[in-house]
Amino acid sequence: MSFSKLSSVIVRRKCLPAITVAGVNFGNRKTFGTSNTLCTKLAQEKKPDWNRAVSEAEKIVGYPTSFLSLRWLLSDEIANVALHLRKLVGSNHPLLKTAKSLLYNGKNNMQAWGLIVLLISKAAGHSADIPELEQDKAAGVLHSQRALAEVTEMIRTSHLVHKGLVNLQAPLADASGDMMFGNKIALLSGDYLLSNSCAELANLRNQELVELMSSAVRDLAEAEFVGPRDKQNNPLPARPRSDIVEYKQFTDKTLEPLVVSEALGNARAEWTLRHVLNAGSLLGKSCQGTLKLAGHPLELQEQGYLFGKHLALAWQACLDREPFLPNVSGSFSLVSAPVMFTLQHDPTLYEEIEKGQESVDDVDYEVVRKAVLTGPGLEFTKKLQKEHSTAALEVLNQLPASDARTALANIIAAMQDL
Amino acid sequence: MRRVFALGENPVTTVLAMASIGSGRLCARVQEKLCQWGQYTRREAYSCVRTKIGSQTAPRVPQERQNEKHSQSLAATAASTVSAGCWHPCSRPEIAGTARSFSTMRTQQPGSLPEYQIDPYHLLEDDLKDVYIYIRDALRRGTYQDDLYEIATYYFDGHGKAIRPMVAILMARAINYHIYKEKSGLLSSQREVAMISEMIHTASLVHDDVIDQSDFRRGKPSVNVMWNHKKVTMAGDFILAVASIMIARLRNNDVTLVLSQVVTDLVQGEFMQLGSKETENERFAHYLTKTYRKTASLIANSVKSVTMLAGADEQLADVSYQYGRNLGLAFQLVDDLLDFVSSSAAMGKPTAADLKLGLATAPVLFACEKYPELNPMIMRRFQEPGDVERAFDLVHKSRGLEQTQYLAKQHCQEAVRLANLLEESPYQKGLIVAADYVLNRMK
Repeated sequence: MSFSKLSSVIVRRKCLPAITVAGVNFGNRKTFGTSNTLCTKLAQEKKPDWNRAVSEAEKIVGYPTSFLSLRWLLSDEIANVALHLRKLVGSNHPLLKTAKSLLYNGKNNMQAWGLIVLLISKAAGHSADIPELEQDKAAGVLHSQRALAEVTEMIRTSHLVHKGLVNLQAPLADASGDMMFGNKIALLSGDYLLSNSCAELANLRNQELVELMSSAVRDLAEAEFVGPRDKQNNPLPARPRSDIVEYKQFTDKTLEPLVVSEALGNARAEWTLRHVLNAGSLLGKSCQGTLKLAGHPLELQEQGYLFGKHLALAWQACLDREPFLPNVSGSFSLVSAPVMFTLQHDPTLYEEIEKGQESVDDVDYEVVRKAVLTGPGLEFTKKLQKEHSTAALEVLNQLPASDARTALANIIAAMQDL
Repeated sequence: MRRVFALGENPVTTVLAMASIGSGRLCARVQEKLCQWGQYTRREAYSCVRTKIGSQTAPRVPQERQNEKHSQSLAATAASTVSAGCWHPCSRPEIAGTARSFSTMRTQQPGSLPEYQIDPYHLLEDDLKDVYIYIRDALRRGTYQDDLYEIATYYFDGHGKAIRPMVAILMARAINYHIYKEKSGLLSSQREVAMISEMIHTASLVHDDVIDQSDFRRGKPSVNVMWNHKKVTMAGDFILAVASIMIARLRNNDVTLVLSQVVTDLVQGEFMQLGSKETENERFAHYLTKTYRKTASLIANSVKSVTMLAGADEQLADVSYQYGRNLGLAFQLVDDLLDFVSSSAAMGKPTAADLKLGLATAPVLFACEKYPELNPMIMRRFQEPGDVERAFDLVHKSRGLEQTQYLAKQHCQEAVRLANLLEESPYQKGLIVAADYVLNRMK
């Protein structure tokens, strides 16, 4: 996780030694333990269950991924970025926020994505004809699966970093030097991660996997075009429609792009579409891909896709509920499930949403919050999360009992208890 | 570099003159760098034939005979290739063979042969016409969202030079002919690579436009002027993703590896552009590596890919790779040159753009040998008022442009030499003309 690394360079220099000290040798592959876990723990002490579930899970597969490996620390480009990022401290370019949130934002932590991929890999095991040389015996996964988990994290991080650009389209923007420079660094860093994942994937010499993961990158890019947007490309929900359309996903055609227009305006369908594109697809396809690497039959690979997709959606629903918990204030995503369900229930609320066409900041969040808290939105969201958690657990139960399976179940449970 | 590159003299003298350039620090570095790249060696006579591609079988006997003849005629060149592969204006011709191959090269100098009336664009008219249509189709199939499609296809309007697909298809057809003679056609996988090369290039253009905040490209407002930068960035990612899906569908591990290297090179080249080096010789090496990564790698590795797809062996793949590398370096050198001499109208984008972006390209780096006052300007990336104008004038007063042209010419000549290793065919001739075109283009 280069960005956590970067921000730890800047924000918390004292974390750096932790990265190097925590170097652990797994088999013949050096994996470096994460200062991240440490920092996240510091920041997230109030949610012990989640952290316990994650950190215990990490132990099961060794340290989650090699993303924080030595070659990242020593890479020229990353050193370069760190140097430039320092120049941005003090400016208000969102890249810094992105870097920080990659480090502190407990549940949205990228490390956890790679972790899920490794856990499902271990839980499913691998076919008997994989040569011993390709196995990481200590962790119970294949080296190729570890590489894939790293790719998953890189793709996701790259997307978040690109999403964190500032729109400087003339004439509306104040294209100050800082902003331009921040954009440049953000764009290049994202590209760097993306190009690295291309190279990593190519090295795995499995073209079906390359195709699958490339389609996940495409889906992420597509996600940023769904529905109405403000000038900074922040999403707004589409105008609610009265005819309810059931959202369908064709599991047998995961490589094809999703149809967008039909889903817009239907709370559940639109929410699902948005988050399949920007989260479910990547996690689903990574889980599918890791089972492919393990030589499992096609049906199980497809189950892997469903597991990742449902888990990502359950996760998203959980995140969407957080801002509406008692004693929490501040802004929230206008395309979060509680807001969208509330809109469907009371379409007049859309007048408030429409104030955000220029900038989502023009929306009166307190008005929307009140509507959400008094409407059925939160209840629906809870149900939504439950559905996806259950679907993910169903897939999990088809696998033999193991410590990895238990760990995954614990993570899902920790999410539920929120 | 105070010495002048002697143009148009006896070639051997020229080489010697080049080698004796006094302020050779720069040259030494350049040479070292080039040698590093041009590592390929060929000790045995040339033979890179496979007889099978799918069900096509070429007649064996005539081909072998042909090959023998071919290797004889190539023997002289091949013998000198070991050193000629590392040949550079600054290197000393240590064996006679180099000089001979050089003088051979002179007679085949781009543009000097009147019988090369082949126009690659005309030759490939049908192939190239389809490339843009197929790319737009591929992107259309990649999304149901019209605004994404519109941004992603903005630069695939058929108005680009399409140099990358052109060279890739020329090479594909030339190699196919080289291996299979008349029984050769363009493989669909090779055409795909041609499309992919243009897509990767365009994806990088789209991102460059966001980074550099450019105003015009190809005579129309650039993509960052037209749309939200965040959407533009994502559209770039989208093009790359669709291209990698296409790469994966070729189902060829080695081609995927080669093409993924291109993407890595592009990004690393872009990173190199962020920093500058303190000393002159470091700077030139830095510039050349950057140029390879940002431009030549894509051309070199796509022609390598089409060659691999034809079923060629490693030697032949390396001939195409080196052809593409030299052509790509020349292409970028000329591009950097044109930035100083061409009008905005001809280029379709503003000129002296590199200086304005703080970039010191070959003409400036050559010029600062004569005008050391350019050094501090390079270090501060031409940011003080008047720097750009002053540097622009100094470059024109120096011989920097001529020297850049000369270096580009060397690379083109090397490309021509490599193209001549292939069996003669209209497409092989096209590769030679392409080198000429790269060197003498006005935009």
